[in-house]
Amino acid sequence: MREVAIIGVGAHPTGQFTDKSLKDLGYTAIWGALKDAGVTPEDIDVAYVGNSLGGLLTGQEGVRGQVVLQHSGITGIPVINVENACASAATALRGAWLEVASGAADVAIAVGVEKMYVGDTARTIGALSSVSELDLSQMGMQFTTSYAIHPKINLKGKMKEYGWTSADFAKPAVKNSYNGSLNPLAQHRRALTIEQVVQSRIVVDPLTLYMCASISDGAAAAVVCAADMASKFTSKTPIRIASCVLRSGEYRLPNDKRLDSATVSAQAAYEEAGIGPEDLGAIELHDAMAPAELMLYERLGLCGPGEGPKLIDDGTTTLRGRLPVNPSGGLCSRGHPVGATGLLQIAELVWQMRGEAGPRQIEKRPKVTMAQNQGGLLLGQDSAVYGVTILKS
Amino acid sequence: MNLLHSSGVVMPTDPKQTPYLLGGKCSNCGTVVFPKMPVCPKCRRNGTVEDIEIGRKGRLFSHTIARFAPKGFKAPFFQIFVDLPEGPRIFSLVGAECPVEDGVLEDGMEMRLVVESLADTPENKDTLTYKYVPAAKSGKPRHA
Ligand SMILES: [Zn+2]
Repeated sequence: MREVAIIGVGAHPTGQFTDKSLKDLGYTAIWGALKDAGVTPEDIDVAYVGNSLGGLLTGQEGVRGQVVLQHSGITGIPVINVENACASAATALRGAWLEVASGAADVAIAVGVEKMYVGDTARTIGALSSVSELDLSQMGMQFTTSYAIHPKINLKGKMKEYGWTSADFAKPAVKNSYNGSLNPLAQHRRALTIEQVVQSRIVVDPLTLYMCASISDGAAAAVVCAADMASKFTSKTPIRIASCVLRSGEYRLPNDKRLDSATVSAQAAYEEAGIGPEDLGAIELHDAMAPAELMLYERLGLCGPGEGPKLIDDGTTTLRGRLPVNPSGGLCSRGHPVGATGLLQIAELVWQMRGEAGPRQIEKRPKVTMAQNQGGLLLGQDSAVYGVTILKS
Repeated sequence: MNLLHSSGVVMPTDPKQTPYLLGGKCSNCGTVVFPKMPVCPKCRRNGTVEDIEIGRKGRLFSHTIARFAPKGFKAPFFQIFVDLPEGPRIFSLVGAECPVEDGVLEDGMEMRLVVESLADTPENKDTLTYKYVPAAKSGKPRHA
């Protein structure tokens, strides 16, 4: 396998963009990445385009990748459409990485794009529910519920098991809202207090409104190439993909003694990259519901069971801490246009590693970073997709 | 009336028989799954999963009150996971006889299966599904 580098990233801001289509959102991200990488559409050998809900929400059921890419001047190449729920973009990146790593292509682009504001919130929520297995969504299962009581995370149960409080659950939301307030691309740019988060209305007990990612439009893209070719296109620091792990969930029974899938996928990514959690300088992780960040701390190997809130209390994972987590603002503040999220995470990490993150720049520019993206829900008591990417500069 | 997941919940024609869920039991390793599937998820044998009646009762694993409802449902409503004595842990809803209030349900409590409308909404009132209610007759709040 060849070493692969990210040489350019681009993103469309997240939020409500009523007049913009999937094509418009994609165009901004794609050309942002092309220019950043110093490549032209003719340089792109292959493209992977992640999108989750475009079929249901826009009516463009098929060939969304070709439609989006043609609008941006990229045609006549292999285009692979990727649907993998909220991890569609991480999956697209893996495809692009594999094309170049294998030698099949020299330059590839990964795109993630999502259009969730369609003038009918109920329809958007319905479409979101449909990325869970139908047997669950037909019974009224929602993502909020899945974080609140689903056996794979069961935040409500953690209150009893770990003694976590509503204020603990608010901590990641507060931390990330501050980061988001510094990010011009972010959907929500207001720094929140613990009181504001705790006292916002209850969506699904114990989750309040400000603990939940809202619906969002957005897009992101990354251009990757063989690492030894990077200097041909750009003088910027190439960001190497040290590992790019993708796993489906397991069918889990109540007495399942195996490690949970977030842990297993992170361990695989660490091993492949030849590093451990202590080597990381920044993480973008999947906090679709803010308190999930506390659980992910332990699953990514950052702390022991129940110790998550301490990492925020002692400043470790804050923007000025030793290991900033979700410097972009994360899913709740930066935004969660589901099929774009994984590449929004990658774009943020690349900017941080190059020192281009503006007011939210991590002081000690991180050299090793991780993006953790997941999505979907299966009957077998697990998420459908886990994606973990480790970057090195 | 039609049945949601018509292969999953069985309404016996004999009125003396109570409804049950149609699960699958692996004849190789004993794993019980719901809903049924052709390959055992534990030992991965194909064709070893046989029909089994399950789910007449269960124990509440977790519960919450959803304050917002997806289309076709009415908030507030309980959403729960139930551990069935036969093995599976399943997602379900709570029967209408149980008031939607804090303190009514407690994790670990005994539950029993009821079959009723998926939701009291135009979209779902004619669709039957499996739900659970506290097994104790009263279902009254237990103040700890
Ligand atoms: Zn078996």
